[in-house]
Formats: sequence, C-alpha cells, structure tokens
Amino acid sequence: MTNRASTPGPGEPRGRLLAFLSALCFFLSAVEYMIPKPLPFMRLGIANLPLLLAVDLLPFGPFLALAAIKVLGMSLVTGSLFSYVALFSLAGTLCAALVMYGTRTLFRARVSAVGISVLGAVSSNAVQVLLASFVVFGRAARIIAPVFLAMGLATGLALGFFAERFSASSRWYARARKDARG
Amino acid sequence: MGAAAENDDGRGRPRRFRLTIVDAAAILAAASAVFLSSLGAVDAAGEPRVVISDGQGGEWIYPLNQDREIEIPGPLGSTTIHIHSGVAIESSPCPNQTCVAAGSIERPGQWVACLPNQVFVRVEGGSDDESGVDTGTW
Repeated sequence: MTNRASTPGPGEPRGRLLAFLSALCFFLSAVEYMIPKPLPFMRLGIANLPLLLAVDLLPFGPFLALAAIKVLGMSLVTGSLFSYVALFSLAGTLCAALVMYGTRTLFRARVSAVGISVLGAVSSNAVQVLLASFVVFGRAARIIAPVFLAMGLATGLALGFFAERFSASSRWYARARKDARG
Repeated sequence: MGAAAENDDGRGRPRRFRLTIVDAAAILAAASAVFLSSLGAVDAAGEPRVVISDGQGGEWIYPLNQDREIEIPGPLGSTTIHIHSGVAIESSPCPNQTCVAAGSIERPGQWVACLPNQVFVRVEGGSDDESGVDTGTW
C-alpha cells in the first residue's frame, strides 16, 4: 500500500480513489469467497474494509457508489447477481453504508473505526434478518437472528480493529486522507 | 480513524489506539441486541422435532427420531430433506448449495436454510435439560 506508482496519491482525482477502492472490494469479495468457514452461512465481511476506510476518504455520493459497486462485486463473485438473494446483499450493504457514514458524521472524532464497523456490521445483518422474515421465512427468521447479530458483532470488531491499525500505519492512507481534506 | 495517522508519538510511531466512549456504547448496544434476540427465540420444550417452513407460510413438523425423506417444493424446484437422528438438506436446486454444505443438525435451535429455494429447517424441543437456548445460539 505504499507503492506510489500504483495507488492514488496526493493531487490525484477522487475518481481514481473510488476506482481503486472498488477494485479492492472486488478483490476482497473473491478472497472472502475462497476462505473456508466453520459455518456455511458465515460471512467475514472483509469486503467491507474499503467501505470502512472510505468513510473518511470519500464524500457521500461516491461513498454510496462504492457501496453499490461492492454489492455488484460480491454478487458477481458468488453468482447471486440475478437472483433475489442479491437484494439481501444490497439492503444489508446500503443500510451498513448509511449507518457508518451517519455515525462518523454524528460523532466525528469521538468514534473510531471500531465503533463504526460494529454498528455497520450489526445493522447490515439485522436488516438481512428482518428482510428474511418479511420476504421468506416469516417468524422462523427469529431463530437466525441471534447467530447473525453475534456474527456481525465479532466480525465487525475484528474488521474495525484492523482498519484502525491500518489507517494509523499506512502512508497510502495518510496521503489519501490528506487529499480528501483538500 | 485517521486521527492517529497525524498524531504520532514524536518518534514516528503511531499513537496507541484507545476505544472511545462511543465505541464502547456501540459494542454494548450490539451485544445487548444479540442477547435480546436470543431470548425465547427457540421453543426448546417438548419432544425433539423437525420444523420445516416454506416461503408461503406452510409448516411441517416431524419427529426427529424417525428416519424419513421429505420433498419440499420451492420456487426453484424440490428440496430434499433427510431425517435420520439428525436432519440435513440432502439436495436443493439452488446455485450455491450452501444449505447442503451446512450438513446435519440435531440440537434444538439449530437450523439450516436454503434461501434461494425458500426452505427453512429447524430443530425444536428435546432440551428439557440444562443445555437450553445457548447451544442453538452458538
């Protein structure tokens, strides 16, 4: 991430940063898909890392675009693009994106990537369980709620700590952030 | 996030990261949501049984201790469920086969679902001993 030649740096247009973060979403979606999980329904959510970093790098519009692109990438990789399962992905990610951006806007420096990540992950999973109860499983969806929310908490925490460490030590991130502030 | 990138400790190392109060509140809120959602989520009383629901509100209940094979129709086709001391989705016409990969379940609160074909299988009852709700949560 410190290679000047291949990553967006100071003075470069924001579009390039969006493109780079989008590519990262695609890549991490593929990585997520490859990692074996103890439960098949488990999600690590590592494809949300670019979104988490982008909270402080992109304005609201491009940030939402990144969220949409992340859904597209995820659905392409898992092969669910043209099924209603992609709706779950879209609802979860859009909700998480709004919650993450809203949390940052509301609390500024009083919240770290950990808080933003946990709220994003849990709200994303909560929306998907809610959607599952409306669209498919009805009251039976109650049973999946605890495990999905717990999963969101655990993966949200892990991703948040990673993002916090990464943003504190990455020169690429420091430059992108300086750039974002103009 | 980011604050630490600009505030190093003077020796070029990033400042130690500390959780803020808002972080702690977020984690606490998430943990409470997990806890509250697990309350009464599973009906663990009575005989161990398999409850199968489809997306149209239909529900089938079978005893867990009798071998049986069941075909549940869904929007994509027929999902085959096999009961044999545990219960497993044996085959389903979905593209990702996550439900088949989930394998067999047998404890109350455990579930396996095929989202594309809208079939939801769960185990209820059989937990009058101390194992209770949390075995299903984890």
